[in-house]
Amino acid sequence: MWPDHRLLNLFKIENPIVLAPMAGVMDAELAIAVAQGGGLASLPCAMLSVEKAREQVNTIRQRAAAPVNMNFFCHTAVEADAVSEGGWKRRLASYYSEFGLDPAAPVTAANRAPFDAAMCALVEELKPEVVSFHFGLPEAALLARLKAAGCTVLASATIVREAIWLEQHGADVIIAQGAEAGGHRGMFLTDRLAEQPGLFALLPQVVDAVKLPVIAAGGIADGRGIAAAFALGAAGVQLGSAYLRCPESKVIAPARVVLAAAGDDTTVITNVMTGRPARGVANRVIREVGPISSDAPAFPHAATALTPLKVAAEKLGRVDFTNLWAGQAIGLGREMPAAELTRVLAAEALARLGQLAG
Amino acid sequence: MPIGTPLTELLGIRHPILLAPMDVISGAQLTAAVSAAGGLGILGGGYGDKAWLEQEIRRLEGHSGAPFGVGFITWSLAKRPELLDIALRARPRAFMLSFGDPAPFAPRIKDAGALLICQVQSEDMARQALDAGADILIAQGAEAGGHGASRTTVDIVPAIVDLVAGRAPVVAAGGIADGRGLAAMLMLGASGVLMGTRFYASREADGAEEAKRRICAARSGSTVRGILFDLSRNNVWPAPFTGRCLINDHARRWIGRELEMLQNVNEVAAEYAAAKAAGNFDIAAVIAGEAVGLIHDIAPAAELVERIATEAEQIMMGRRNSATASDIPNR
Repeated sequence: MWPDHRLLNLFKIENPIVLAPMAGVMDAELAIAVAQGGGLASLPCAMLSVEKAREQVNTIRQRAAAPVNMNFFCHTAVEADAVSEGGWKRRLASYYSEFGLDPAAPVTAANRAPFDAAMCALVEELKPEVVSFHFGLPEAALLARLKAAGCTVLASATIVREAIWLEQHGADVIIAQGAEAGGHRGMFLTDRLAEQPGLFALLPQVVDAVKLPVIAAGGIADGRGIAAAFALGAAGVQLGSAYLRCPESKVIAPARVVLAAAGDDTTVITNVMTGRPARGVANRVIREVGPISSDAPAFPHAATALTPLKVAAEKLGRVDFTNLWAGQAIGLGREMPAAELTRVLAAEALARLGQLAG
Repeated sequence: MPIGTPLTELLGIRHPILLAPMDVISGAQLTAAVSAAGGLGILGGGYGDKAWLEQEIRRLEGHSGAPFGVGFITWSLAKRPELLDIALRARPRAFMLSFGDPAPFAPRIKDAGALLICQVQSEDMARQALDAGADILIAQGAEAGGHGASRTTVDIVPAIVDLVAGRAPVVAAGGIADGRGLAAMLMLGASGVLMGTRFYASREADGAEEAKRRICAARSGSTVRGILFDLSRNNVWPAPFTGRCLINDHARRWIGRELEMLQNVNEVAAEYAAAKAAGNFDIAAVIAGEAVGLIHDIAPAAELVERIATEAEQIMMGRRNSATASDIPNR
């Protein structure tokens, strides 16, 4: 039996395992599979249009009688700056010539928009059971509309101060994101990477600091990690890297090869790919330009100039410029259908929790 | 009922709780107190100071007779190998080596009848330790205070547990300061925990009172891992090791400006040495890990061992929910 039932009751799910919303490498398919395994289906909406997000949520609902978590970014949007974009293009110029690309050709701007009124209207229309945010919370008026629509609101904290802020500003559940986690750091009250704590130091301190249920994220990919998180006071866990190699993910074939070979010491935190710090397996441009570069334009604009390179390299079967977001637990990932994996993870954790109690 | 593990069995101790051999801080008094309480105290031989070592070993001899250990920084011990014999003459139950190749010392340690404990931060180091004959491995995460490397506890502990595959007990270190942490590490597959910062804030630790007060006052996110304090005291460590300390004025001044510090290293070192001598912890380092936010009191070490063991037992027996489990006096 799970030692903590708060999330099970709140979300009406069978297993307190949340699929990490991984923009760019998953869609409804993975979410449906995790829901079928008894976990919480998350849909990353930060890179989707309103129409596409609606279609995806409807797809999940048609195929799984389970709650849905729509996930959004809520960073403060910064206009693209011609000077810094020009500097970034120059920094990447040798790659453009290597791939025979014209640096002057028009490029579609990177499409990671913060949560806005249009998306809020969509949430009011769809009424997902859960809405989650990365990089803080949206403005109070929008948040109030989500609450009025009956949504439970999740948000990520990377330090205790952020957790307290989220509790004070209306979050219902806190996700404690340890430094191990793959993808973007959810940090929004600090920019000091060197001070981002590891999950097992952060988690009990967040649990002590807030009254809300806390979901543990970062570095967890097996039953041992899940059981340990519960011992530290978590009410649930959020897993991403564990699911990357599932057949339902949208990770492209060459990236799958890289992720399958990745050990847990192969990930780095970089700002090169989007302009915001995120953890992933180092690709060629991260190795050669980063992992941290002061030339990278502000989020999400660093991604704009990388897009033509990514497309060109992927045509050749290469992931030199592809996001390979993954956490330190990437080495524990399993190639297994996601519904089955969710059940296996839950069973492993329960066995460990039970075995120690006996 | 106390938690029995392969570690407690091998060491002949009651609780799977080890004292980190903190240089200067883990003296005879703290070592003896942790051992008497049923954990394993490990004397902090540190960089290796002969006079200090002889004095502390004499002090240990008058104590309970409970098993204890002695720990050294391996690469530093290599410069003063004679200290190993002094330590072994005190008949420690275990000898702990951290940061460097244990092989040159392993035969003498084992010949003396002591168990060899090796602290590791990667799979390669774990293999090296097993090859050298390590009886117990400490898997240290980046959350730990003092020197360490980059991978965190949730990552390195199961990785080492899987690699060792039962050949030796694995002990978790880094970010652990209460019974929840002990229970969590047992669930990750560890046989016990090694704690430093928690015992720094104890009555018996040989640290400055001001340093202990700062640990209690520190909140989460108030430590940083890096090389600036080592640079400040002209203390060159081999890669990949960096040190974690509380963030103080000195850290705030130099974080991210290490290159500039190197250019002024003599000046900085003089200022740092003076501050250290004066007990000015706005400049001098308080070595502490990320668990500082869980530490709120300066307690007797025996009380800490008891508190942590009891809390872990209750969590594991399902009699206590960790979300409301902490014994934090001022919560």
